[in-house]
Amino acid sequence: MHSYRLALDEPVSGAHLDELNRRVYYISEAITGFRLVPGDGDAVDAVEVTTGYPVDAEALGKKLRHVVDTEVRPQLPTPPKVLWRSATDRTPRAGTFDGLLADGVVHEIGPGQVALGAPALAALDALDGLLRDIIREEFEAHEYRYPTLLPITALHRSGYLSSFPQHMMFAARLDGDVDTYRAFAEEVGARDTIGDRVLHRCAPVDRCLPPTMCYHTFDQFAGSTLPDENTVVTARGGSFRHESRYHRTLERLSDFTIRETVFLGTAEFVREARDRFRRRAVELVEQLDLAGRVEVASDPFFAGAATAAQVSSQRLLELKHELHLDVGPGDSISIGSFNLHEKHFGDAFGIKGSDGATVYSACVGFGLERFTYAVLCQYGWDVADWPAPLAERCRTTPRPGKGKR
Amino acid sequence: MTDDIAKIVRTFIGEHVRDTELGDDHDIFATGSVSSLFAVQLVMWVERTFDIAVHPTDLDIENFRTVNHVVRFVESRRAATPA
Repeated sequence: MHSYRLALDEPVSGAHLDELNRRVYYISEAITGFRLVPGDGDAVDAVEVTTGYPVDAEALGKKLRHVVDTEVRPQLPTPPKVLWRSATDRTPRAGTFDGLLADGVVHEIGPGQVALGAPALAALDALDGLLRDIIREEFEAHEYRYPTLLPITALHRSGYLSSFPQHMMFAARLDGDVDTYRAFAEEVGARDTIGDRVLHRCAPVDRCLPPTMCYHTFDQFAGSTLPDENTVVTARGGSFRHESRYHRTLERLSDFTIRETVFLGTAEFVREARDRFRRRAVELVEQLDLAGRVEVASDPFFAGAATAAQVSSQRLLELKHELHLDVGPGDSISIGSFNLHEKHFGDAFGIKGSDGATVYSACVGFGLERFTYAVLCQYGWDVADWPAPLAERCRTTPRPGKGKR
Repeated sequence: MTDDIAKIVRTFIGEHVRDTELGDDHDIFATGSVSSLFAVQLVMWVERTFDIAVHPTDLDIENFRTVNHVVRFVESRRAATPA
């Protein structure tokens, strides 16, 4: 293991620290661990990184300073803003993930990939059911089940590729030529590992794994005029984001499930719908007696020329709200987000409303594994201990193989 | 003084508003008259133009929604700063 102290040009502090924390692993895959080095007060004036092999520390420091100077420090230092906080004194139990592993409720498959078994799986479906009840009661949503693979053109025209390149996961195939197939087959037959021998034989890379469901929805309506003034679409599906070394337990997966609802229509409708869904989600959290809060947030924009301005404007205009649930002492995860897009996607996908004007949009997404994990952290995994609205939906679920915690 | 500030603010915002007549009480962010990125541009312009330090606690969109909001914010910050 090798350790390097990478100095910053100027100290970073306050709201900028979180923004620095969420970027370090994306600076280079060589980094296997890091620590922010405190200077005066709460300011940080260096990052100590560890790597598995010797690296050019000067080059690494230059990359870090470029990211800090262009993406972190120029952000407006908007203070944290909490919109709602639960009244419950429920506290999550430490060691939940280890307990779930030991009891066979979950299995780690790979980095950022976890298989769920009973009763976590029942909880996930039941929580999705409770969300679908809200969607049915409040909004006349059209429900779809989308194919997994998303045309890469959808992410290109949306701006995702240039805003979140660090999360991209492509679905490539071999170039369709018998010589390629023959050479590939011969080569992989003779090798134990194939990773570095695949990509140069792939073409075209025209599909990718969706980072969330709403891109399917925007692509579905691309170039169309919606017959109604306002339209609501909901879908649940596998979502994929490369998380580098930020993946953790069920809290941050690279392969997970999102229930997402998209609102298309007038500015007033999409804002009101976003806020109404947030209020109903808070009511659900109160009904389940879960500890958490709602706060203003921003998306993990990275490596783009406009990154700092995008983050700053999201926070200043409160375009993104997140519902956090507690998963440990002083530790919480965002299980849902409530987002306004203005006309960004309406313009990008050429979607018109019934009046012929470009639609406004909003979306509300829930990470179902995260929601489930927060419940398990706060209630354990004996269904009998779960809050009534959840337990009632899970009456027939089998108990985990190795008994009660 | 207020009239001078209002004129400068009105001119700057007016150059960026689309599809609408700009009144001094017109909420430019609620109505989609400008893109969200303009909010950042506006904050930085206010700092630079009026030589005001915008503190983290000032970063509330209520200070920047309309021409009148911006004028009131500039005046309050100037009043709070010793000459």
